[in-house]
Amino acid sequence: MADAPLRADLILEYPFSRTTGPVIGAFLTGLREGVLLGIRRADGTVMVPPAEYEPDTGESLSELVEVGPAGEVVSWTWVDSPRPQSPWDRPHGLALVRLDGADTPMLHGVLVDSPDELATGMRVEVVWSDEREGHIADIAGFVPKEPS
Amino acid sequence: MGKERTAVLGVGQTEYRSTRGDVSMAGLVREAALRALADAGVGWADIDAVVIGKAPDFFEGVMMPELYLADALGCAGKPILRVHTAGSVGGSTALVATSLVQAGVHRRVLTLGFEKQSESNATWALSLPQPFSVSINAGAGGYFSPIIRQYMARSGAPDLIGCMVAFKDRQHALRNPHAHLHQADLTFDQVVEAPMLWDPIRYSETCPSSDGACAMVLGDEAAGDASPNPVAWVHGTAMRSEANNFPGRDEVSPQASRDCAADVFRQAGITDPRAEIDAVEMYVPFSWYEPMWLESLGFAEHDQGWRMVEEGATHLDGGDLPVNCSGGVLSSNPIGASGMIRFAEAALQVRGMAGEHQVDGARRAFGHAYGGGAQYFAMWVVGADKP
Repeated sequence: MADAPLRADLILEYPFSRTTGPVIGAFLTGLREGVLLGIRRADGTVMVPPAEYEPDTGESLSELVEVGPAGEVVSWTWVDSPRPQSPWDRPHGLALVRLDGADTPMLHGVLVDSPDELATGMRVEVVWSDEREGHIADIAGFVPKEPS
Repeated sequence: MGKERTAVLGVGQTEYRSTRGDVSMAGLVREAALRALADAGVGWADIDAVVIGKAPDFFEGVMMPELYLADALGCAGKPILRVHTAGSVGGSTALVATSLVQAGVHRRVLTLGFEKQSESNATWALSLPQPFSVSINAGAGGYFSPIIRQYMARSGAPDLIGCMVAFKDRQHALRNPHAHLHQADLTFDQVVEAPMLWDPIRYSETCPSSDGACAMVLGDEAAGDASPNPVAWVHGTAMRSEANNFPGRDEVSPQASRDCAADVFRQAGITDPRAEIDAVEMYVPFSWYEPMWLESLGFAEHDQGWRMVEEGATHLDGGDLPVNCSGGVLSSNPIGASGMIRFAEAALQVRGMAGEHQVDGARRAFGHAYGGGAQYFAMWVVGADKP
């Protein structure tokens, strides 16, 4: 049909690479080794994940400190029907977890069966993936930590 | 009320390399920024705003990287602006930053350009197959080679002028520790015998693909007077644009290029650029653009630019108009920074801080960048004395 609208696919793909540098690189390498690292700021507080610089002033940061592996839920949400893009394919929590020794919370999954098992202030601990490659998914998620 | 006098207080450059695998993108820009702050004798807190430029986001696949780099550049609580004008972006970025000081909006502005070409492929990024596009994607070399041939036919330039430019810039690069290409054993014959990519452009006559960042701290007159190191004063700034295809277009010497040069030299009170400028840093990604721009910018008569190359007039040793003493784009090309490097190197020359590639006694220098299909132009003249 002469006046049918033209159609064309546009698929853009490129295998971009990334250089992580001395701080994010150390954090990711730590995940592979099963170690959680934060960075100490000028005021003594610890930021997780770490950054190469003071977020307020731009001053350089370099003192990596180990944190976790347990921490406290600062706030949370419940995902009952994970979308296809979700890292988890079953119902799960998403929580801001402040790891022991850290002053900033980090978002990750909490692997429980029901929102009834989630509460602000609860203690959780990290579950490592069996195979780790230096990626945030090396943390399989967090689970409630039993009082010791 | 006129413009506030504006000075380059500090310059910071990373080492330009094919791959800076030791630093993140944030680490790369911070390396240049911290060196510029140190040169200017100021800290992050003394900076009022940041103006950052880079080539298209597709180059690294990070969309709007200026947003995530804001805190890496000490911008919490301050304005950050991103500039994009294709290959001329480094120059345009410096000029936007300059205008903020000239207008009295800010006292000290950090301006920076960067590229991490190792994380992607510029030719891929520039050749995305857009549906229904009426342009063939021949890459930059394929686009510019017919224009260069047009110049050769028009001017009667000998075939090896481009090789002479390439050899000269690679010799200059040996005196610049930041330069990407350090080819100490390179001979002129090797330049000539290199593979022909897009006749008449040989592989040896093209720019490398580099990682790197370049930063400058700009300040107002009071900041310039108080700066610990010598400063470079801005004597003129100009930008022009034009379409890359219209009837009667002069592709060899675009109207926008000629107008931009005339404007910047008028502002600087320069009537004889060759006599009154002591050092030139111009954007030459393919060797032949040196004689072409020498003519377009007014440093040479029509069709005579190649003679300056042939006579060695643009060589740091013995030339009366040294061009690209840093080694130029032909020796380092972190695209988003390449224009700013031209501007920063011009500033270093009049500050007397260009090291081994210093032009003795340089008082006024010219920085130049172009982008797109020779469509976007940014230029400045800087001097050792106040304008």
